Parts: sequence; structure tokens; C-alpha cells
Amino acid sequence: MSIRLLNPNAEVLNKSAALHMNINAAKGLQDVLKTNLGPKGTIKMLVGGAGDIKLTKDGNTLLKEMQIQNPTAIMIARTAVAQDDTSGDGTTSTVLFIGELMKQSERCIDEGTHPRFLVDGFDIAKRATLEFLEKFKTPVVMGEVPDKEILKMVARTTLRTKLYEALADQLTDIVVNAVLCIRKPDEPIDLFMVEIMHMRHKFDVDTRLVEGLVLDHGSRHPDMKRRAENCYILTCNVSLEYEKSEINAGFFYSNAEQREKMVAAERRQVDERVKKIIDLKNKVCSGNDKNFVVINQKGIDPPSLDLLARAGIIALRRAKRRNMERLVLACGGEAVDSVDDLTEDCLGWAGLVHEHVLGEEKYTFVENVKNPRSCTILIKGPNDHTIAQIKDAVRDGLRSVKNTIEDEAVVLGAGSFEVAARKYLMDSVKKTVHGRAQLGVEAFAEALLVIPKTLAENSGLDTQDVIVALKGEHDRGNVVGLNQHTGEPIDPHMEGIFDNYSVKRQIINSGPVIASQLLLVDEVIRAGRNMRKPS
Amino acid sequence: MREIVTIQVGDYANYIGSHFWNFQDELLGLAEDPGADPVFKNGLLDMDVFYRAGETQQGIFTYCPRMISIGSRGSLGSLSTSGTLYGNIPSADSMAIATWTGNAARSVAEPYKKNLFLQSLSEEDHDDSGIPASDSKEGDSSHRRERDKDRIECLENGVNSWTDYSKVQYHPKTLYELKGSWADVNKFDDYGIGRDVIAEGSHAEEMNERLRFFIEECDHIQGIQFIVDDSGGFSSVAVEYLENIADEYANTPVLLYNVRDPVSHALPINQRGLITRALHDAVSFSKLASFSKLMVPVGLPSLRSNLSPLLHVKDEKLFYSSAIYAAAIHSISVPFRLEPLRPSTNSTYASGALEIGEIVHLLAGQARQNPVTILDLAMPAPSFTEENNRGAILKYLNPLTPEIGEDDEDPYAVESVTVHGALHSGCNRALISQVKNSICAEYEGRSIKLKFLHLSMFLCPLPIPLPFPSIFTSRVGRHGELLEHEFEGGEPKGSLDVESVPIAARLRSSKAILPFIETRYMNLHKYGLARGSRGDELLRDWGFGREEVEDMGENMSRMLLALDPLSEEASSDSD
Repeated sequence: MSIRLLNPNAEVLNKSAALHMNINAAKGLQDVLKTNLGPKGTIKMLVGGAGDIKLTKDGNTLLKEMQIQNPTAIMIARTAVAQDDTSGDGTTSTVLFIGELMKQSERCIDEGTHPRFLVDGFDIAKRATLEFLEKFKTPVVMGEVPDKEILKMVARTTLRTKLYEALADQLTDIVVNAVLCIRKPDEPIDLFMVEIMHMRHKFDVDTRLVEGLVLDHGSRHPDMKRRAENCYILTCNVSLEYEKSEINAGFFYSNAEQREKMVAAERRQVDERVKKIIDLKNKVCSGNDKNFVVINQKGIDPPSLDLLARAGIIALRRAKRRNMERLVLACGGEAVDSVDDLTEDCLGWAGLVHEHVLGEEKYTFVENVKNPRSCTILIKGPNDHTIAQIKDAVRDGLRSVKNTIEDEAVVLGAGSFEVAARKYLMDSVKKTVHGRAQLGVEAFAEALLVIPKTLAENSGLDTQDVIVALKGEHDRGNVVGLNQHTGEPIDPHMEGIFDNYSVKRQIINSGPVIASQLLLVDEVIRAGRNMRKPS
Repeated sequence: MREIVTIQVGDYANYIGSHFWNFQDELLGLAEDPGADPVFKNGLLDMDVFYRAGETQQGIFTYCPRMISIGSRGSLGSLSTSGTLYGNIPSADSMAIATWTGNAARSVAEPYKKNLFLQSLSEEDHDDSGIPASDSKEGDSSHRRERDKDRIECLENGVNSWTDYSKVQYHPKTLYELKGSWADVNKFDDYGIGRDVIAEGSHAEEMNERLRFFIEECDHIQGIQFIVDDSGGFSSVAVEYLENIADEYANTPVLLYNVRDPVSHALPINQRGLITRALHDAVSFSKLASFSKLMVPVGLPSLRSNLSPLLHVKDEKLFYSSAIYAAAIHSISVPFRLEPLRPSTNSTYASGALEIGEIVHLLAGQARQNPVTILDLAMPAPSFTEENNRGAILKYLNPLTPEIGEDDEDPYAVESVTVHGALHSGCNRALISQVKNSICAEYEGRSIKLKFLHLSMFLCPLPIPLPFPSIFTSRVGRHGELLEHEFEGGEPKGSLDVESVPIAARLRSSKAILPFIETRYMNLHKYGLARGSRGDELLRDWGFGREEVEDMGENMSRMLLALDPLSEEASSDSD
């Protein structure tokens, strides 16, 4: 083989060895992630050598934490992570599905089927399943006011796979309300407009929705109020600090007096800017009990803070760039880049602004706003890894609500779709296929069952009993899913178990593509490192 | 107060940083220590410039470097990313899972073994007796010496990570591990890979968020001290960071050190590797230069022969070479922390305070627009004795910047020299005025005068902390003085025998940097721009279009032109 001539150390795996390497890698990855799936899955705590803790029940996070070396596994992992990037969930399902497709193929290949036939079958089955999904999905009409109940059901289904029930149910309302808060009819939903903020609090696991914004810093002047009601909010991006301009940065003043003069002139410019803000404050706040808050993206130096504090203004500096946009959406007004021509129209409004201090960490709450188009989910947890896990779950929850609104459809969950799709493939599609590609369709159909099977396995149920029961009900024309507690068939619609349409679609789409690529590998060549060596 | 935020990106940058912060920690300790040399106690060095005061949730006050360190996953060794200061110590409590009532699987990796030095540090933390080194009992001190010897030996023999010799405690927002999801650590060696990693996930956002945290606290930030290991993928991480800084904090000057360890200079084995390396160097130089006002390339292929004969540096050990560079960066940073006195006044302890913005303007914006500066170091600095040594300091300054030319006749050169802890004779410190006179006389004596010279002087030498490599030959005395008699074949001396050394460091903007830029310019042309060049595809993989590469080439040629107006003819000829 020519590669041997070029590099005598290069290793070549021939066809069947290459295939088995791929199949084993896919199965291995499946084994790792299998226990994650569903509300009865296993949470994983990873403690690093230096004591860093990572807590996760999310396939996506787990894949990123694992230092995968096997090239096939990396390929699958990348697909699964891409799944998360596009639709926000379904990483574990993707890995399981790919693994199962490979497993089913292995059996056929061992019996002498060429992978080509399987790949053809996969392709037919994939298209048929996607068509079936279109018929199977439950359309949801969004309109002006979306059906909150269905959104809650989808969010709850997602969250319950990541957090224990009571916590998941508490978060369900929060994520649904958060998405509805930022939603504008006929516009794509920008989840960045939901700020996710966290506080570390020794004994507390608590999450709440703040209609408004929570900033992770406070004012930097001792005389500024820590709490104020009825506040005008000025959102600006104006430097209120004395900066040496480029040309004057030097040293070549003929004397100290000249230097002082230059400094004074520069200072005056800053002071004038501050004065314009104070003028506006005096205009809008005189004769009433209203307050004035400045939130600036640029810096504010101590002399400017001093002037503002004396005028009774609360000022925050160096706000996050993204918060400029969020503030305007939450409070109204506009973000100004210059303090010339300031008017009352530029100002936003908040009923309450207050500061919360935890050690050196300060939080400023801008609350009780009028028509919030931006909000904050505030997570409290006893330590960083708990906070991180809740944060991941919140992100998934938000994505599931967003998906539902944008898909205008949901899919019945608890494994019912997979069982129904299998039945459709076996009963209707297989007949129409000629030749050995039938085997591919069959393998695909069986592979779909990995979802209900794994759900049953994770719940400690007998997999075969469960699958037989589910198949039986479906044969009788009932669309049922799996009850995780009893193993009995249930109606997912009644139980409110719904999955995202786009997530399912994505899984059906990408799984067979990767599996086909892996099956069609003829040769694996690797120079430099021994790939048979366990890593 | 004029705060500086320090950013360290990449493994070797963190090696240097670790030494740098050890020096600062030593200075803080010596200022408190009643038994220390009074020269450390004048309080003129404002440590708040580099440090921030904080408070934990339990109300314990902290004093941490105002610093962000970016490293690859696993580069922190036994140190946890959140540090130990803010009560994030793993305990039985934290192993409880508060968010899940179902099954749980715990996978606990074998804890990294702490070396002897780190063990002794955590012991000190526990029995907080607070007794400094001045023990009264004879037996005690000899016992201590034995123990210190062991601790040093464990560092001499095995430093696997920069945290192995760090005695500083960091803020939880300081340490950030870049998780290149499936990138092989050993192959994180070119511009494209770093770019891929930073594009993945929310790395850039998290890094910027941390920087904002530190900058929000600053009342008057004077600048950012940025150290980047530009030998591999970290240079594109740094570029991403610098781009954001230029955007978000436009008026905050950045002093950029792009550092390289001697090992990274080893040549790749094959042609392809050579081209990749050449293009990486060119691209990373061009991109870094475009986002920084002043850049200082640091990192010789070998420090063994190119430095003072009084030093013995083992090139293969990062622990050794990084100590030298850290000393130079420390010296350059001294003027940033001195009380800004009126230009005319002089103090007996210090003179020549300077801000980052001023030094950037001085070196890069004066005579010509040259942002690339050479770093020189004299360690230990020679003594300023009146009679024989006058005019010696220039001879002792050795460049730490690679690939530079001779620097004889550049009438536009601008230099900034910092001398601290200079000795007069024996162990006596030289007066500020003596140092000044001597150096001025030396510069006066040169045939080609400089365009401009800034001189900073400070009485306090560089303290040598315990975790420091044994790099001094036996001729160096306890205070960095030159001993008269030489011990034949003496053991190299380390922190047990040398307490402090006088140091002189210099930044110079001069034509001597020309070859450094030229090489990169040529390589970009040869491999990236010339018709049918072999690196074309590689550059596209890294995400650069043809036009962008042409822009890079143009930027470099402009730099060359600024330094050497005659080169224009030469390059136009070659086209």
C-alpha cells in the first residue's frame, strides 16, 4: 500500500476492522450518555484533579467535558453538539440514535449485507420519517397571545429532565414568562434579551424572574442612595472620565503651570458633560419626589461621581454592552451616545432601583418597569457548580419555549413518536422498497426504539415488557408513550409531555447522515499514533 | 490612583507572570517584615496599581492581583480555577447535589499531587502563626534552612506547571481555562487552531466579561499590561481580546509583551512545518501589532550564552528562562508605580515616574511611528563606582528581543531606561544622583546622540523570592554585588544565597528591530502572497482572504518604511 511506502509507521485498518472500530466507538459513546436520558436519568458530577466540580445531566455539557480522543467518537460528538447549537437540545438523543443505527447495522453486516444497502435504506427511511413527523406533529396556533399552557408543557418536559420536579416546575413558569416578555409578534425571538444573572448564596437554591434588569455592579460613591423609587433612567455611552488625549499625553510642558492648565482644560470638558446630565435631572425631578439614575457604558471617574452624587443622582459605570440594549427594552427611553440635546424623551423609567451587596459583589436591581421587553432570570445557588447546572437548564428551557413559538408545533413525547414512526416504517414504507434496502429501513425503524428503550431502562423497568406493551397499544391505534413510574402506556397528551418539533426533526436528519458516513468508511489510515492503543 | 490590569494569555505568559507576581508578593511581604532591609520599606512603590482590595462573602479582606490569566485546559496543575481565597474549597457539603433527586454518578479524578513547596504554603496558611523569617533560636533557623533547601530542590527538579511555584493567591475571576473542546493540547500550535477554539462557545464573551469586572473597579485606569505567548494558538486568542479592548476601551493604552520560550524556537522537522511556522509568525505579529500601540517581542532562542556571564540559565527549563523575562517586565513596570512627582523635583529614593500611556507615547509616537520596541536587561546591574565603571551600563544591557540587528547609528532612537537597586561599591546603594550622572555621561559620550532618553531610578532592588531558579554563578553576592574572589566550580546560587539583585532594564525604539520585522514581511510574501505560494491554502484555512493578507503585508511594509525610509526603493525594485 502506498502509504506504507511514504510512512512505514502508518497504520492501516482494512475494511472490516475500520467498520468495527467505528461501530465500537459509536456504541461506546452511546453507553456513556445513555444514563443521561429522561427524567429518570442519572446526574453526573465530575471532580477534576484540582478539585473543580462540574455537575451536569446534559449530554451536550458532558460531551464537552470529556477529552475524547477517538476520531470516530469526535465526529459523532461534533454532530451532537452541533445539534445543540442549532436547536438547543437533543444531544443525548442524537448520540443514542447514531449508536443504535450502528448497532443495528452491525447485525446485518455480520450476516453479510453490504453497508451500501443499509445506507440506501437509511435514506429512504429518513425521508419517510420526516414526512411522517409532519403528519404526526401537533400544530400550535401562536397568534397574538400564545397558548401559555402548551408552552409550559414543553418547558416542563425539558426542565424535568435536568432538575428535580419541584425546581423544574418553579422554573417552568419563569422561562415561559421570560420568553413571552421579550417576544415581539412577527419577529424572531432574541434570547439574549433575557439576562441570566446569578448570586452565590450559602443555603439558598432559588430562582426568580425579575421584570427589569439586574446588573452585577453598583454605584461607586459612598453618598449615592442604595435604594430609590420612581426613577428616571438615563442609559448612555459617554465617557465621564478625564482621559489624557493622545497629543497631550506627553511630558514636554515647559513648566508645571502649563501642565496644570492643560489638565484643567481637559477636566472642564468632562465637567460640562456631567453638568448637562445634572441639568436634565433638575429639569425633570424638581418639585417632585422622583429620582434619577445614570447607567453608563463608559467610565465615570471620582470627580464626576462626586458631582453626580451631590446632585442626588445614582450613577453606575462600565455597564455591559448588551445591557445597554436590554435597559432600553426594559425601561424605555433610548441609549444616548452624547449628552448634547438631552431631553426627557431619552429617559427610561423604573419604579424601583436598589442595590444588594454580598461581600465584594454588588448587584443593582432595576425593577417595577412599565412595559418590559427585557427581563432577568436571577439564579441563586450554594456553589458555582450548582449555579452552572441550573443555568444550563434555564438555557435549555428558554430554547424549548422559543422553538415551540417558532415551530408553531410540538411533538408528543415519552417515546410515543418513536414507536409510531417505527410502526409506520414497518407497516407502510418497507413494502414499497425493493431489494435489500429493506434491511436498512428495518434497521432504521428498530433504531428509533432506542429512545423508549433507554427511558425504560433508566427507570429500572423491563425493556422488553415495555416495548411489547407500547407496540401493542400502537397496533390498536392508540398513540401512547411510556409512564416512567409504572411502565404502563400513557397518553402523553393527557400528561402534558411534549417535545420540540425542530429538535426531533434535527435528530432524524443528522443521525442517519453520520451513521451512513461511518458505515461507508473503507479504510482508516493514521500516521503517527497508535489508534488501537486504548486511550 | 492609576490602576493597571494585567492580562496573561498562554502557557509561557503565565510562567512569566507567575514569577512576576512572586516578585510583587515578595515586595509586599518585605514591606511588612520588621527584619527586612529598610530599602524595601519606603512605601514609594504603589502596589495598589497592580493589586485590588476585596472582601469575601464571609467578610474577610483580600488583596489580589488585578489580573486575568488565560491558559489551556489542564495547565493550572493542582490549582483550582476558582482559587482558594473565596471559600470555594471542595468539601463534603459541595459534593451534595441540590438540583436532582434521582440517581447520581460521581466521577472523581485523582487529585493532583502538590509538590513540597505548595504543601508548605498551605501548611503555613493553616497554622497561621504569622511568625516571619526572623527566628531567634539557632536550631530553628538551621532547620528552616534545611527545609527551604528541600523546597527549592523540588522546584529545581520538577516544575510541570506555572502554578507549581506560585505563592500568590488569585481572585476567582482571574484564572480562566480555555476549553478547546477536542483540540489536542500538543497541537495548539498555530494561529488557525486558536481561532477555531475561540470561535467555539462563549469564550470571548466570558473573557471580556472578566476584563470588564476588573476595569469597572478602576477609578483611573492607566493601561493594560498584556503578556501573550505568541508561539502558538494563543496569539489569535490574544488578538480577539485586543480587538475587543481597542473597541471597548479605546483610550486605554496597552503595553504588549509577546513572549516565547526557548524550546518553541526549535525548528520543525519538515518543510510543511516550516512554512506553517513562518506564516504563523508573520500573521500573529501583524495582527498583534495592529491592535496594540506598543509591542515588545521577548524571547531568545537561547539564554545560556546571550546574557550576563554571571547568570547560568538552563534553556530547556521554562522555570528558569521565564524568571529572567519576569525580572525585566518587573523593572519596566517600576516607573508605572512611582509617585508622579513634578518633572522638576527629585527624590532621594526614586525619580522618573511614568505612566503606560506616557511610555507608549514616548516610544511609539515620538520621532516616528514605530510600535515595535526592543527590551534589554542587565541582571545583575553593574555597580556605579565612580572610577572604573563609568559608562559601563550600556555594555551590560543584553537584548531579550530576538532577531535584531546592531544598534549603532540611529539618530532617531528613543530609549527608556529603568535602574533600580543599583549598588555603588560593595553592598552600598548608589544614590539616585550618582546613577543619573553616570548614565547621562555615558549617553553623552556616544557618537550618535539619541533622539530622546527617559530615565527612571528607584532605590529598591529586585527581591529574590524563595521559589526562584538557581541561576546565579558563585561570583554573585548576597545583594547582587560582584564578589572579588571567584570560587572555582562553585554551585549555582539561588534564593537562599542571593537576597536581591540590582537591575537595569531598557526599552528602545530603534532601527535595530528592522531584521525582526523584515523576516516576517518576507515570509508573508514568500509563502502567502507570491503567486502560487504554498501557504495560500493554509491562510484560507485560518480564515484570511487574499485581501486581508495583502493588508497585513502592507501594514508591515509601512512599519519598515517608517523605520527605514530608504527601504522603499529596495522593495519597489524587487517587485
